[in-house]
Amino acid sequence: MAASISFQGVSHTYRPLRGEPLLALERVSLDVGEREFMALLGPSGCGKSTLLYLLGGFLPIETGTITVGGRPIAGPGPDRGIVFQSFALYPWKTVRQNILYGLEKQRQPRALREKRVRELIELVHLGGFENSYPAQLSGGMKQRVAIARTLAIDPAILLMDEPFGALDAQTREVMHEELLAIIQRTPKTVVFVTHDVREAVYLADRVAVMSARPGRVKEIVDTRFGGNKKPSVTGTQEFTQKVEYLWDLVRGEALLAQGKRDS
Amino acid sequence: MRAAAVRYAPLLLLAAAWEAAPRLGLVDPDTLPPLTAVSRAWLKLLQDGDLAVNGLSSLQNLTAGLALGIVVGVALGVLMAWYKPIEVLVNPLIRILYPLPRSALIPVMILWFGLGAASKIAAVFLGCLLPIVIGAFNGARGVEEVLIWSALAAGAKRRQVLWEIVLPAAMPEILAGIRNALALSFILLVAAELLISQRGMGYLISSYGEAGAYDAMFAGVVTVSAVGFFADRLYLSVMGWALRWRG
Amino acid sequence: MERMTALGEAALRWLSILAVLVAWQLFAEAHVVSDFLLPPLSTVLVRLYHDVVQGDLIPSVALTLYRAFAGFALASVIGVAVGVLVARVALARWFFDPLISIGLPMPKIAFLPVFILWFGVFDASKILMVAFSAVFPVVVSSWAAAEGVENVLLWSALSLGAGRRQLLWDVALPASLPQIFTGLQVALPIALIVEIVCEMAMGGEGLGGSIMTEMRFADSPGVFSGIIAIAVVGAALVRAMELVRRRLLIWHPEASAG
Repeated sequence: MAASISFQGVSHTYRPLRGEPLLALERVSLDVGEREFMALLGPSGCGKSTLLYLLGGFLPIETGTITVGGRPIAGPGPDRGIVFQSFALYPWKTVRQNILYGLEKQRQPRALREKRVRELIELVHLGGFENSYPAQLSGGMKQRVAIARTLAIDPAILLMDEPFGALDAQTREVMHEELLAIIQRTPKTVVFVTHDVREAVYLADRVAVMSARPGRVKEIVDTRFGGNKKPSVTGTQEFTQKVEYLWDLVRGEALLAQGKRDS
Repeated sequence: MRAAAVRYAPLLLLAAAWEAAPRLGLVDPDTLPPLTAVSRAWLKLLQDGDLAVNGLSSLQNLTAGLALGIVVGVALGVLMAWYKPIEVLVNPLIRILYPLPRSALIPVMILWFGLGAASKIAAVFLGCLLPIVIGAFNGARGVEEVLIWSALAAGAKRRQVLWEIVLPAAMPEILAGIRNALALSFILLVAAELLISQRGMGYLISSYGEAGAYDAMFAGVVTVSAVGFFADRLYLSVMGWALRWRG
Repeated sequence: MERMTALGEAALRWLSILAVLVAWQLFAEAHVVSDFLLPPLSTVLVRLYHDVVQGDLIPSVALTLYRAFAGFALASVIGVAVGVLVARVALARWFFDPLISIGLPMPKIAFLPVFILWFGVFDASKILMVAFSAVFPVVVSSWAAAEGVENVLLWSALSLGAGRRQLLWDVALPASLPQIFTGLQVALPIALIVEIVCEMAMGGEGLGGSIMTEMRFADSPGVFSGIIAIAVVGAALVRAMELVRRRLLIWHPEASAG
């Protein structure tokens, strides 16, 4: 079960209690197809996370519209699951209880809940850690719990906000494979925010490069490479070219952002 | 200025309620005299010299105890951090006294020093001592060694390093400890004066209370509370000025 | 390796207490000051034993603890409720903020005569006085805790299907528990000492009352034995809170060292 997403002319202004209002996004329009893996790439402060939070329904939409499956969104919901960089696990709950949470909120019957939790723990390779607390887990394991927890309610859309940013390089690569495997098994529409160009090119079907603040969609690049990505694709020339191209784009925007700050 | 007015506006609401409730009979005006009555009583206490005599007595005892506590406490704490034998000697005493509520020592002070000013000064002194010693000890101990080494390398003698490097570097923690001691000193003094006293704000409050002059009693309570509050605020400003290099 | 250090620390603590007690005894036996000013530890311990076995020390402790706990419980419930409310509702914040910032540095003991006037000379006034004094640290820590709950925790719950009402019980309160408990750990000793001071001022039974009686009779060993009793009770309460914390917050990162 997956759904399409459409951003139309979305702007967003941050209004802090003290200080000037900040225009984070300026008339962003973007379409994400069903079961598409879209990466949002850009320098820090370009508003990519903001766009994700708007889609998630955590921030109010003041200008523009965001539709999912053709219908405008109204606040957060279980159709858009989110995974954060800081894992956002509930430290007072065990791994099992964390994953259960969404299922409890959906009032699923107990037997079904337990079955689902067991499936998910197997899916993310955390067997044996059901009764551990997050504090006892490594970063990679915590993120697996977070992913399992979000997948538990089977959202049509998966939102990921730099989910592997806090992990070391090796763990990150492992997680890439696991993520792709999971998406293979249960296809979803994925919106993936990152500042890591290689990660974006490897994981995504398309990469949307965002400009420096105020964020706009600068360019969208196809990174499908004929589907079904394996680690070996990173060695191909096509891959390297795409990475370099996007790198330049992002760096240009990063320099622009720097220039604006200094002026 | 305006921000402060908005922030403290609820107090005006409370003051208004204090005035209205007894007058409207919502509370018994004997047990809660209207604010204006309390203010009048306060002015009378001021005019009669009652406030001055007792206030001064309290202030003297508090300052004496606190000052003593600061001098001895800072010295002791810093010396403990500087000279290991002193730490070994004094640490057990601190360990024992730390969980003991200082107010519990008031009866002992009375046994030792009688009912006069000395017992109150002693109670305040002992109460203040601990937070200041701990603050000074932690502050001095936490001074980065590189600061000390570079001073020694520059040719300073150990005693100079103590005065010129360790003490200033330990100031934030020392001043924080003194702030705790300040609050504690008010509590100990008022408690001691409530218990047994012939003079002081605590005595003023309890004696007017016993005499049934509740408006004067409330006047005393408000005065003590206000002084405690403003003393803390004043100290915060002083502390901010003293630590202005921290940025 | 870590367990040994913990044991070593405890051993050191007990050793230093022992050292002080031994020093006390030696100092007293040297008769540098009169027995009245500093009765020998042996005399005080004998008296303490007597009070426990034949006297009314245990009932006194029980009474003091009952009133202190009653006030503490009241302060805890009210403190957490107000603290969380202030963090979430802007109007509550506007109203309570000055009250809290003024109330904190005030010597609240000055209000004792007011409480006696309002609530009499029995348990009620003591319990309320204790609650009044102990509520402030609980409010402050609950407020900070509720305010500090990370957005991502709340957002993830919303996207997992939690209703806005459920956020408080499901996420905000559990996430705030460590800091709230710290506030409770600060409040409990305050409750004990305020209770004792109230008893000293108002007389009667209880640890505070007994000590004042002994003082009036110039019963020096009695006063010192009372002090030891208070110290032991105080230390026991602090220790008990630590153990409860470890149990309750078993999931907290500070608990698992590895």
